[in-house]
Formats: sequence, structure tokens, C-alpha cells
Amino acid sequence: MGRAVEITSLNHQYGDGTVSLEDVSLAIDEGERIAVIGQNGAGKTTLFLHLNGSIRSFDDNVLIFGRNIGTMPIEKRIQNVGVVFQEPDDQLFMPTVYDDVAFGPTNMGLPEDEVERRVKEALSTVGLSGFEDRVPHHMSYGQKKCVALAAVLSMEPRILVFDEPTANLDPKNRAIFLSLINELNRSKGITTIVAMHDVNAVPEVADRVFILNRTIVAAGTPADIFSDIDLLESNNLDVPEICKLFSFLECYGCRCDVPPLTIHDAARALKRMIDRNGGSLQLSSNGNTEEEMVDLIRRFRN
Amino acid sequence: MHYPDIDRYADLDSPVHRLEPRVKIISFGILIVFAVFAVSIPSALVFLALSVVILLASRLPVRFILHRMKAICVFVIPILVLMPLTVPGTPLFSAGPLCVSEEGLSFALLVTIRSVAAILLVVTMLGTQRFDTTLKALSMFRLPGIIVQMLLFTYRYIYVMIDEFLSIWSSMRAKGYKFRLNRFGLTMIGNLIGMLLIKSYERAERVYQSMIAKGYTGKPMSFSSFRITATDCLFCAVVAIFAIGIQVYCMEIPWEELLR
Repeated sequence: MGRAVEITSLNHQYGDGTVSLEDVSLAIDEGERIAVIGQNGAGKTTLFLHLNGSIRSFDDNVLIFGRNIGTMPIEKRIQNVGVVFQEPDDQLFMPTVYDDVAFGPTNMGLPEDEVERRVKEALSTVGLSGFEDRVPHHMSYGQKKCVALAAVLSMEPRILVFDEPTANLDPKNRAIFLSLINELNRSKGITTIVAMHDVNAVPEVADRVFILNRTIVAAGTPADIFSDIDLLESNNLDVPEICKLFSFLECYGCRCDVPPLTIHDAARALKRMIDRNGGSLQLSSNGNTEEEMVDLIRRFRN
Repeated sequence: MHYPDIDRYADLDSPVHRLEPRVKIISFGILIVFAVFAVSIPSALVFLALSVVILLASRLPVRFILHRMKAICVFVIPILVLMPLTVPGTPLFSAGPLCVSEEGLSFALLVTIRSVAAILLVVTMLGTQRFDTTLKALSMFRLPGIIVQMLLFTYRYIYVMIDEFLSIWSSMRAKGYKFRLNRFGLTMIGNLIGMLLIKSYERAERVYQSMIAKGYTGKPMSFSSFRITATDCLFCAVVAIFAIGIQVYCMEIPWEELLR
């Protein structure tokens, strides 16, 4: 398995002198599922714009599949990295769905029949076959978000970058979108990189998590990252709700060997604990329980 | 949200809807030019009658057409009112310092009939095909790419702007704002316009980034599968012959003197 992304000591500052990235170094292997989390203004979008060459680093330190993205021709860049931006209205700038999804492949210089095949396939992947002639302003937000993804999928990129994919989505569309991300990684082997504030969704779409706060503060598995409450606290990040619940259960003596991060993990963990305890789950308080609970509530409230 | 779409009825089925987009633009273009340059009231009336016939054939709802024409009539009605009063000529009647001239009235009628005929044709043409189809047809006429792209973005983002305007307006109303024609009211409207401009500027930056992310190189890109049929060619030829015929017939050319 090759190295998909390699960034070494990346620095960036805006025209007004605001430093957005400082000595960022990270490496991502092909086929990995990555999440980048960080507070507002942490530099996530700026980092992503470096990944597809929209912002060029003159130190030539952003390598995509071993090649410098900055010097890559635009047709090659879009075949390697596709970015799905947060706001679909910014991404869907053509008058019809077909034109928008065909925009990337056409720019790649593909023949008309190949463009048509890719448009059909991309729309079918996101479950919007038959929407070719629809106009974006007559579609729901969730549908627009899916079209924005289709418009990137039609370029068949090897790396997909999502900026806040679940922002403003209702629970049903959120679940659909998250399963789409995972399906693309599983069935097509696409490396997925997701930036999100929705910490409850992070364990569902990532095997490895980076905390970004202008620089890479921490990296590890979701279990490593979300079990370190001090780390999350110092970076103004939240703890997944399931983690919070199991932390409270711990105060009552109900300790879980591997803290669950998703609702499915939680169901399995509870079953394991009940089985181990002979078919029941015992919660009990001691002298420290109340103090521990108050401390946890205070920390989770921050 | 109901948007004021010009192409709301583009999916209807009628002989006008079925015309090939490029042929439709050429045919309607010919009719509009000849209607605008109609030399006399009778010839202008013929073009007006023809535009009404085409409108009826298009099956577009009359209420929709009237609604579309309302805004444009704001510019036509002053001409109809002012011209008889300002063009010098044979007085028809006068009231105090105001004098209505025969020449002025006839010129005002001519201009009004020409305008109404042309507007009817434009609205029928734009209303019987989707706006993106019109843009694609224009692009195939080798209209400069920059103009096509500007029209395309205007069409796409006018709806986003409407949404943004309405959301700012709603939040102003939620904070108790009521429009009054005073300094405060106008300052608030100025702020609203300023906010819209800033939001548009920021959005333009983001749209440009996403265009670059999809390999935009400055060329307008679109595939269209338009096919011209014999019926389209026949329609265009009939329109051209009819328009030229009417114009020639009404020009009162002294054929006998010319032939002599």
C-alpha cells in the first residue's frame, strides 16, 4: 500500500499576516480513513486547499502519491484529489445537475460518451439517477450535498476530501452521507479525509484522527484521541456522547475495557459486560462517586 | 420558496416548445428585429398579431405572460403618455398648456405596439425553453465565452442571492424592523445591500476555489445534443419570408418608378 499524502513542515499565512498553518507534517497511506478535527479557525480548510493544489506551497512539501501537487498539471491534480466543500451552493455553479457533474470530466478532456458514463455512474452512486436535468435551486440541501459529491466522484479521484460533510444535514441525510463515505472507501479503495466538528460521527468515518490547531497537536486512533479528555479540552473539542455516558457509568463502578465510541460499539460493550457479569449489570456508588460525577459534568460542560 | 422563474413552463408540450433552440432564437430574433423596425402602425399591428398567435400556440398561461410583461410596461407607458405631448405637429386637442399632437399620438402608438410585440416574442421565446438551454444555444452561436459564463453564473446565483436577501430580511423583521422612508429606514436598506455585496464577494471566492478544484481553465464547457429537423428549417424560412414580406409590403416603395 503506497503513501497517498505526505506533508512535511507546511507553513501558511494569509495576506494580513494571520498564521493559518505552522509546521504541519502528516502522512496518510492509500485506502486509509482519516478525520481532521479542530476548533474554528484551526486551519482545516486551508490544509485541504493545499491538498488539491488550490493553495500552492512554494516549499514543494505537499506530495500526493509521491508527486508534488503544486507542479502537477490541473487535469492530473483533479484525478488525484477531489474536494467536497461544506456549502453545496458554492460547489454547484452550473445551471443543471448534468452540467455540474460533467464539469470535471470535461475539463479532463474526456470524450463525450465517457463523460456521460461517468455522470450516470456518479449520480447512481449517490442515489440520484434521473436527476440529470434538475436545477440546483429546486433541490433540497441534502440532495444538493449529494450532487456536490457526485460532481467530485465523476472525476474518479483516488483521494476524497470532505470539509464538514455533515454540517446542516438532517439525521437521515447525515446517516446516508456518512455511509456513502464509508462505502466509497470500502468498495473503491478511495482514501477519505474528513474534517468535522461532529465528534459523534468521527469514529464512524475514521480509523485515524488528527487534531489540528494550526499545527498537528495529536494523532491516533479515535479511541486514543477521545479517551484523552484533557487533550480535547485544551483544543476546545467535545467528547462523543457515548464516551460521556460510559465515563458516567465508570463512576458507578461499571468499567468497560475498551470504551465504545459509536452506538453500535456501545450496544456490543453493554452485552459483553452483562454476559461477563452473569446476565446483569451492577451499578453502585461509593464515597467518591458524587465527586467524580460533578468533576466529569464540569469538564464536559466546558 | 417560489422563485420568479422565466422558464417555469418550459416543460409544456407545444409546437413552439418543440422548436430546436438555435432555430428558435434565430426565428424569434428575425421577428423581433422586424417588429422593432416596423415602419407603420398597420405593419406593427401585423407583427403584434403574429406574436399573439405564436403565444397562443405556445400554450403558455396568459396570466404568466401578463405578469412577466408588467415590469417592462413601466418603461413603455411613459412613452405612450409623454410622446403625444412632446412631439410637435397637428394639434388634436389641447387643455391649457398641454397639447396632444396627431403625429405624437401616432408615433407613441407605433412605439408601443412595436414594444409590446417585441416583448411578447421575447417572453414567449424565453418561456418555452429552459434558460440553460438558451444559454447553451447562445454558446453554440459562438457568443464570447465570457458573456455566456456571466449569464450562466447570473442565472445560477440569482436564486442564491434571493435566498440570502430573504434570510437577512427575515432576521431584520425578527428584530422589529419596519421599512419607513426616513433616514433610519434607508440606512438599514443600505446596510442590507452592503451585507449582500460582502456575502456575494465571499461566495465568489469560494465558488472560484471549487471551480479550480474541478479543473476550471477558463473555457465554458457544456455538451448539448441539439438536432435541427426539416420542420425547424421550414419554420425559420416561413418566419423570415413573412417578416421581410410584411416589411416590404408596408414600406410603400415606388416600384413603378424604380422599374421604369
